[in-house]
Amino acid sequence: MKSKHENITSREQIFAQRPATRVWEEQSSEENPYLASALRCHGYDLHELMEKRSFIDVLFLLFRGELPTGDQSQILEKLMIGLINPGPRHPATRAAMHAGVGKTNPAHILPISLSIMGGAHQGAGCIEPAMRFFRQAAKRDPKIVCCELLQREKRPTEGDWHPVPGFGSRFGGIDEMPRKLADQLSRLPGAGKALLWGCSFSEILRPYEIGWQFPGVAAAVLADIGFHPRAGAGLFQYFQAPGLLAHGLEMVNKPLTALPFPSDENYFIEVDSDGH
Amino acid sequence: MNKDLMGKVSFFQVLILNAIGRLVEKPLADWFEAMHVGLSWPDARIWCNQIGALGGTMRSSVVAATVAGILAADSRAYGQGTILEGFAFIERVFKGARKGKSVKYIVAEECARHGGKPKFMGYSRPIAKGDERLAEFFNIQKRLGFPVGEHLSLALEIEKVLLEDFDEAMNFNGYICAFLADQGLTAQEAYQVCAVLVTSGVTACYVDTFERPPESFLPMRCEDIDYQGPPPRPVPLPDER
Repeated sequence: MKSKHENITSREQIFAQRPATRVWEEQSSEENPYLASALRCHGYDLHELMEKRSFIDVLFLLFRGELPTGDQSQILEKLMIGLINPGPRHPATRAAMHAGVGKTNPAHILPISLSIMGGAHQGAGCIEPAMRFFRQAAKRDPKIVCCELLQREKRPTEGDWHPVPGFGSRFGGIDEMPRKLADQLSRLPGAGKALLWGCSFSEILRPYEIGWQFPGVAAAVLADIGFHPRAGAGLFQYFQAPGLLAHGLEMVNKPLTALPFPSDENYFIEVDSDGH
Repeated sequence: MNKDLMGKVSFFQVLILNAIGRLVEKPLADWFEAMHVGLSWPDARIWCNQIGALGGTMRSSVVAATVAGILAADSRAYGQGTILEGFAFIERVFKGARKGKSVKYIVAEECARHGGKPKFMGYSRPIAKGDERLAEFFNIQKRLGFPVGEHLSLALEIEKVLLEDFDEAMNFNGYICAFLADQGLTAQEAYQVCAVLVTSGVTACYVDTFERPPESFLPMRCEDIDYQGPPPRPVPLPDER
């Protein structure tokens, strides 16, 4: 007799016969059905887009399904410039640089560093929660949200404090660079409710030594121009990718000695108080 | 240098040591090895494995394709990505049972969290009802000398209720999370040990397509895509800024 765990039955689910997409249409060539004779993005011919629109416009179209207004395109472009490089001290960039100097296959530099950039601290992993936070919080008075937050959350005794996604301290202080980015973006005509609310919120948080973080600024702008929270992580990785790649490629022709390698005197194995 | 370990303990004992900081006895390492074997079934229809196959047909490196498949299994639906939620489930219901809640009540409570459906982590499964790997796992567990512990016992009681009320059984996740909770691992520790859980099946699917002509794995004609977007339309000029 079969045991209950050997009794397997199919769910007989009906799977799609073909993948469906609203994003991209490939018109088949008459000679070879595996080759395309025209490419259209949400109905627009790709070559006509090349003639008439900017890269940012087409990027927006790809994800949102419609071309952006001038204001939307402008704020997205400025955001992407502001986020183009997380800088050589960022862990994701350092991963790219280590891949580069380590003579890793150059095709791996971007996936390696983007995997690290997917983290939930200062990375893509906090964009979705931040976008969801803005959806709720931006309907309310930032002072009240701050009061509730301070009552609810406790500052940790060690490390930085991130009481809400997108805001917090960094190395014990307020990072002024994301604040400057947010301020500059907030003066654009495309600035929306989440970004403006976040700027007010950040000022209210200032006495507590917490403020904007880069993922927070990205989340606010993406929410304002209509991106779904689930899109946030990948877009943030994409926005930071040029800097990651540039730093990784800068290292590929340098010797292994081009990056620090801690000396044996500075390398030791920690032992717990119980001897392990 | 690993000279204290090389040749003295199994690879899986080292894998677990590096993942959780404790050297476990060989039977538990053997159990983990069997688990990795169970998740290394090279069926290219499975999502992570298909990514390996796509890497082979694109002539990606075997490392890139295998890592890509492993990343894919860090999923909410299958693979090692489900371990944290599976542990959270069994730990939550175990606390409830300790407080005196009946298994029927626990199942009703968990169904209520999921819109009245028994679709919580560790039970039910996409594509098939039941999990053919479990019978073998119970044999392996017995052979290695592991009794059915408190968490697994509760997991089986939950399964009994689900089978009676919904015709849904425990799946691999439900079994491994309950078993590992009985062995004293935390959710994060179990997740860490299982970081590369699906690796071998992905590599096998990569190799299969790598050894065939490029782009010959399930090639698609233009019409094999069901385009559902807007019809062709003229591109407007941008707004004046």
